[in-house]
Amino acid sequence: MAKVYVGVDIGSLTVKVVLINSEREILAHGTARAGYSGREVALNMVESLLTETGLKKEDVGGTVATGYGRVTFPADREVSEITCQAKGIHHLFPTAQTIIDIGGQDSKVIQLMPSGKVMDFAMNDKCAAGTGRFLEVMASALEVSLNEVGQLAAGSRHPTTISSFCTVFAESEVIGQVSAGTPKEDILAGVCEAVARRVSSLAQRISVLPDLVFTGGVARNQGVVKALERCLNQPLLIHSEPSITAALGAALLASQLH
Amino acid sequence: MSVQTQDKVQAQDKAIPKKRNYRPLRSTEKLKKTIKTYYFLTGTHRYWGKPLGRKLAWVTSGAPVELLRVFNIHPAYPEQYAAIYSTNKATAQLCQVAEAVGYSQDLCSYARSNIGGVLRPDLAPMGGMPKPDLLVACNNICGTVLKWYEALARHFNVPLLVLDTPYLTGEITEQALNYVLEQFKGMIKELEKITGRSFSEEELKKQLDLSRATTGLWKEARQYCQAQPSPLNAPDLFIHMAPIVVLRGTKKGRDYYEIFRDEVKERVSLGQGAIENERIRLVWDNIAIWPKLFNFNKMFTERGACFVTDTYSGGWAIDLAPGSPLESLAVTYTEVFLNRSPEFRAQQLIQLIRDYKAHGFVMHSNRSCKPYSLVQEVIRRKVMKETGVPGLMIEADMADPRAYAEETIRNRVQAFLETFD
Repeated sequence: MAKVYVGVDIGSLTVKVVLINSEREILAHGTARAGYSGREVALNMVESLLTETGLKKEDVGGTVATGYGRVTFPADREVSEITCQAKGIHHLFPTAQTIIDIGGQDSKVIQLMPSGKVMDFAMNDKCAAGTGRFLEVMASALEVSLNEVGQLAAGSRHPTTISSFCTVFAESEVIGQVSAGTPKEDILAGVCEAVARRVSSLAQRISVLPDLVFTGGVARNQGVVKALERCLNQPLLIHSEPSITAALGAALLASQLH
Repeated sequence: MSVQTQDKVQAQDKAIPKKRNYRPLRSTEKLKKTIKTYYFLTGTHRYWGKPLGRKLAWVTSGAPVELLRVFNIHPAYPEQYAAIYSTNKATAQLCQVAEAVGYSQDLCSYARSNIGGVLRPDLAPMGGMPKPDLLVACNNICGTVLKWYEALARHFNVPLLVLDTPYLTGEITEQALNYVLEQFKGMIKELEKITGRSFSEEELKKQLDLSRATTGLWKEARQYCQAQPSPLNAPDLFIHMAPIVVLRGTKKGRDYYEIFRDEVKERVSLGQGAIENERIRLVWDNIAIWPKLFNFNKMFTERGACFVTDTYSGGWAIDLAPGSPLESLAVTYTEVFLNRSPEFRAQQLIQLIRDYKAHGFVMHSNRSCKPYSLVQEVIRRKVMKETGVPGLMIEADMADPRAYAEETIRNRVQAFLETFD
């Protein structure tokens, strides 16, 4: 019997890999910048994770790839992130009806059936405002690391309103605020608010039925979490490792391949 | 590639269903000949128009062409030429010509590319459209045509006839009918003046009979797709609809659809499907994505998904209204589906899903066509709720390839099709 199943999520900014055993427990996981070749990074990561857990390629029962880079990866099957995210989240939160996933360049909302199957979904189209990229650009303009954003934003008493839809123009706005002497915390709180507003409007189009699960890399950002909970007026369930949930879903699908 | 990786790739190939074979229609040869003849005639109008005493009109797709045929007018359709510009990959360039002189990029891409083709016929397939003697616009399909055709009228300095069909929030009213009939009076006077011919109700009846025969055949052929497997896929409908648009009301048009209908009927009796291993039956909503007609559809056919019917080519699968010729004309063209309420259109889609036993539907949020697209989300929810089948929304444009984002669309289509696994 196979000892391990592999899920690979090659996203626009990062690559995530999850290894699970036949009991569907997570054995190991890894995240790294995708860089130029997400495929190479993923292949190396699979290898190092297998070594880390004392397993070999022959122990792998199946591999499923997801994310934008999925077609380049030599997996047994490539499956869309929407299906993988649904699979992963339903496994972790069986009561989830709505998934809000904000990744590097994508924001998506998925409505689940009680069985965990995808009922409906919506994604941002042709625009990266309200995604991880938006936060990255703003954090960089303010010379703070992404990890600091949440903490700093929490200290704000008067969040600035960022009015631009466009990430690039919003950056100009932020720089303008900095020049005007607006405190960093207020700008950062405004940035988090802008992301939350954008995504909550997408969510309201599809579903805001509880339980709501927030996932994707941006779910680690406390500033966005708080802003989103305020916008939706509902609590959000978040896994301890939100960036790997799609890769987990892929691994789960791999375990069901044969 | 290492042996192991090769094995993995081969395994992946096995996991994805094999590429579906696309069954070509015999009728396509006849269609090509028929349409080529039409384009040839249209393109050479400047040689035979005067001697034969036949004017050439540029006409909107929803205009009551039967009335024009009474006056022996030869119709040419800017919207149809725009579709050809698109399949011939000329649209982006033509749009840029129009945008350069000031037309907004938010404007309908048919309008932009048509205007681009007028200003730069050297960039347009077939050298663009022949010069019109008159323009005829009916706003049953949208309000954009009004300003578009006004711009054309100024440019060509030719008469413009406008038919204003009131929007129907429900059934057609006595008032709306009378309003349209009253406009016909004025139009007829103008047409008599322009062509030097007299109006004949008898002639109009003949034209309507020919149209009726043609749309009846088109309707019949499309209805055969209720069979499982469906004998046709949406691209077939989009290609074979050309004569219903440009040759409706002619013997040639009717004769073509007899051939088409016979072949479709034959496929059903032989149990031949448009695609092999039809697994997922879908309904398509909105105008086709002309620049990506086959590439786009491949994402579906390679997973055994067939578009068994659609709301767009179905727009011409209508029964002409009863009554006197002018009344029939007035009602038929006011009741065009784009001129109806979201409720009506939702019911239409629901009925198609039921009649054609569809597993789901796909809506093309077509940037260009506001009346078709702006109500889609409302319709999508209603239809999903009432039928229980999933509906996918994708954003693109019917003619402008610059609005088609390959990766994002592929992602959505794949996610949608995976829900049927």
